Amino acid sequence: MAFTTQDNQLSAGEQLSVEDAELLLEWLLKHPRGRIDLSACDHVHAASLQVLMAARPKIAAWPESQPLADWLTATLTEEASNHGKNNSRC
Amino acid sequence: MNPLLDQFQSEGRELLEGISEKLLHLERAPDDPGVMDELFRFVHTLKGNSGLFELPQMTRVLHAGEDLLDAVRDGKQPFSAALADQLLEAMDFVAAMFDEIGDGDSASLPDPGWQAEPATQLAAALRAHLQSTPPAGRPDSAGPDAPAAAGQDAPIPETLPDQSTLAALPEVARMALYRRILVGASCHVLVYEPEAESFFKGEDPFFQISQLPEPLWRRISAREPWPALAELDAYHCVLRFELVLESSADELAEHFRYVPEQVRILAIQPEQLPLPQGRLDDGPMTANFIRAALTQVDARQTDALQRAARALLELSAPDLCIASGLRWLLLVLELEPDNRERLRDLLGAIEHHCLGTPVHDARLAPSAARTAAGPETIASLPPEWRHSLEQALAAQRQILALEERPDWFQGRLRAVAASLNGLCRALGAESALEALAQATAQAEAQADSAPLRDWLTHHDFALPTIDSPPELPAESPAGSAADAAAPSVRQPAAPVPATGATPSDEPVRFGRRAEDQAGTPRTLKVDQVKIDRLMGLVGEMVVAKNALPYLAGRAEEHYRVRELSREIKTQYSVINRIAEEMQDAMMQVRLLPVSFIFQRFPRLVRDIAHKLGKEVELVMQGESTEADKNIIEALAEPMIHILRNSLDHGLELPEEREAAGKPRGGKLEISAQPLSDRVLITIRDDGRGIDAEAIRRKAYEKGLIDEATAERLNEQEALNLIFAPGLSTAAKISDLSGRGVGMDVVRSAILRVKGSIDLRSQVGKGTELRLSLPLSMAVTNVMIIESARQRFGVPMEAVAETVRVARRDIHLIKHRQTTVLRGRVIPLLELNSLLGLDVPPVANEDDALAVLIARIEQDELGIIVDDCRETVDIILKPLEGFLGTLPGYAGTALLGDGSVLLVLNPTELL
Repeated sequence: MAFTTQDNQLSAGEQLSVEDAELLLEWLLKHPRGRIDLSACDHVHAASLQVLMAARPKIAAWPESQPLADWLTATLTEEASNHGKNNSRC
Repeated sequence: MNPLLDQFQSEGRELLEGISEKLLHLERAPDDPGVMDELFRFVHTLKGNSGLFELPQMTRVLHAGEDLLDAVRDGKQPFSAALADQLLEAMDFVAAMFDEIGDGDSASLPDPGWQAEPATQLAAALRAHLQSTPPAGRPDSAGPDAPAAAGQDAPIPETLPDQSTLAALPEVARMALYRRILVGASCHVLVYEPEAESFFKGEDPFFQISQLPEPLWRRISAREPWPALAELDAYHCVLRFELVLESSADELAEHFRYVPEQVRILAIQPEQLPLPQGRLDDGPMTANFIRAALTQVDARQTDALQRAARALLELSAPDLCIASGLRWLLLVLELEPDNRERLRDLLGAIEHHCLGTPVHDARLAPSAARTAAGPETIASLPPEWRHSLEQALAAQRQILALEERPDWFQGRLRAVAASLNGLCRALGAESALEALAQATAQAEAQADSAPLRDWLTHHDFALPTIDSPPELPAESPAGSAADAAAPSVRQPAAPVPATGATPSDEPVRFGRRAEDQAGTPRTLKVDQVKIDRLMGLVGEMVVAKNALPYLAGRAEEHYRVRELSREIKTQYSVINRIAEEMQDAMMQVRLLPVSFIFQRFPRLVRDIAHKLGKEVELVMQGESTEADKNIIEALAEPMIHILRNSLDHGLELPEEREAAGKPRGGKLEISAQPLSDRVLITIRDDGRGIDAEAIRRKAYEKGLIDEATAERLNEQEALNLIFAPGLSTAAKISDLSGRGVGMDVVRSAILRVKGSIDLRSQVGKGTELRLSLPLSMAVTNVMIIESARQRFGVPMEAVAETVRVARRDIHLIKHRQTTVLRGRVIPLLELNSLLGLDVPPVANEDDALAVLIARIEQDELGIIVDDCRETVDIILKPLEGFLGTLPGYAGTALLGDGSVLLVLNPTELL
């Protein structure tokens, strides 16, 4: 497993791999208010990314790796605002 | 199956046939514009139809084909054999796609990603023809990468999400992008939609994406709404990546070279970027500003426009749509102050996006539409149109004549102006729009409808007066008309209540062309299953009617009522006649011309000949000869095999032919002709022929025949060895390619439909194959025989003759009974022993046995039975279920007296 869990927090390892997607999803289902620490992470597999996008957990820490942080902040924070924008657009 | 899809399939296949026929025609006569137009129309229709279904690959290929043909039609691209090859290949792909649809269960379409790779290649190959001579003045060749991008992904404009993608960009990002593009940067939108199963293929789309250079903008979204978390399938990829990158299309295509069908790469054109966005605002200021701005653009008063825009921007809340539009306007003014077209487009966009009601200024109309149409368009309007136009105009007059000035007076004026504007456009009188716009502006400024009224009175709509209805009495400003007028303003064609008799009472048909109604179709398309059922019913009818003579017999013999018996017989003859006619009609329905399969031969021959480097002239005759659908269909495969063999092994290369003193081009003749109740098909080539000696040697080497047989066979018999199963691939005299299909396959296919095949060949002169096939298989003619007190049927094709052989003429040779018939030795077998019945055959009073001489393939064989009876026409039903595996029987049939007749299959019996 590429992540460790403690109480209500999941800390990702270096990678969130394709196998982790299922586990991540399970954990998120059990911990609907769980927080995710991505600081050590430098790549998220698209399947895990999907889970994060669908679940929208609270992110305790963004990745230290800047390119990934850019992507994730853009995706996991912006989509919500995008929804708002879409509605208001003419 | 979905009926729409069904229809699409059958029409599509017809179109495909049409397309390949036209292509072949064009190859012979490339300058025939009529054929070219038709070809284009076929492809266009097919493409349009394919768009109705989820068949992106088919649409993609057809779209590329359509573009190519359009270029050819316009003379931008010469028609060539290479081009025809490419198009034919594309059509083959489409046909394969149809097969795939047909094979799928019920309404299941192939996966949208099915065959994406070849489709992409095909489309690219088709477009490659286009690029070899780029047509002058194509607007989309803006960036250096634009043609490459077009070739890479064959964009289908209708489905491109570029507008929505670009619209999702924040304004600031789009403005930055705009600046970059104007200084020559090549920017692309990349949309990557990994297929749903991509995770199972070990792909990581996100990794793929993160390997790209830093994007200018990015968005990851889901293609479908997220389900509840508990139902989420983490391994069903629904992601969509959208990026704006400053990279060339080539780089991007290279990056995604393994999944080209999942990405779209679109060059961003500067004109796509200015898109005002924001809160709607319907203020009059906006409309006035746009009108003033248009004038300023035309007058090149850039500074004034800039000042006005700044002023209005300061007054507008920053999140308003108009504010966004103004920011864009200022940017364009700053970067491209002389690009009046761009400014005009932008003002149009502001009008479109920021105003609820369109201003409809003539100057906003696309420049192309501004060409004035000639009067002939008006004259050619159908009478219903003239009438409707009159009504619409009258309604406008009524509205303008209203005296009251409610609060919405301005809106009313605009509505009238919009209606008139629409009418002018519909009439093709674009030249009048200028004056109309002036009148509208004047009217709005004065808050008076007079200028518009004047324009309406003075403008000549060039309507013919003959058909016009009597002037509407509501011309007077009567209040009664007011209620009718208000709701109808938005629809110019809304009918004003008709007063009295209008000249045309027939219903008004808008947009329907005359040919839409030109006669109902004369042909029906019926599913074959329905026809088969009908045929089955007719067959039962035929059998049922056969019960009547028995009934008549019983009436006479059993009940002793002769009168009744006679009446039944009379009735029987009537029913018999009708039943026979029914049967005949049924056969007619099932008849298909042989052209059904012949029509694909020109293409086949052309392709194979090209491939082999041979010159072949194909001559076909008697294409209209008809036979039952089952027969025709069964013929297709063997015919193709035969043609292939002829082309591959029969006909020589041009040089060889010349050396042999023959014309360079070989001749391949296919003819079909009816011959009593059979169809005779002849395939003849003038190639090198088949060497009987070589076949004899090969067969001997293969161990198919022993030495004695090899010696004994005459030339024709040696030739016939080519049909022997073991010789299928070895008998290639020339062995050009080792390809080709065994003649035994051909023969068994022909035998299956009760046909026969006959081969003649002369070395150096050519080969001729004659196929003889029954016209129909529906009714089988059988001879009834009796043996061991049972009745059996034997198909008449197998019966050569029936004879009585005296017991003393039967000799035993090597424990086998034989007899001599007209100087030939015929082996004899007892049917009873063949069927495992332990009963000796019954001889007649002269001690002679009934022998049925059966023809099995080329040999004759005597079958000893008790008695031979009459022949009857029956509908043969194959044995089914557990009985189906029983060898020796062809099937069963019901006889007139209700008894079941078992029909033997002599070949299997032995």
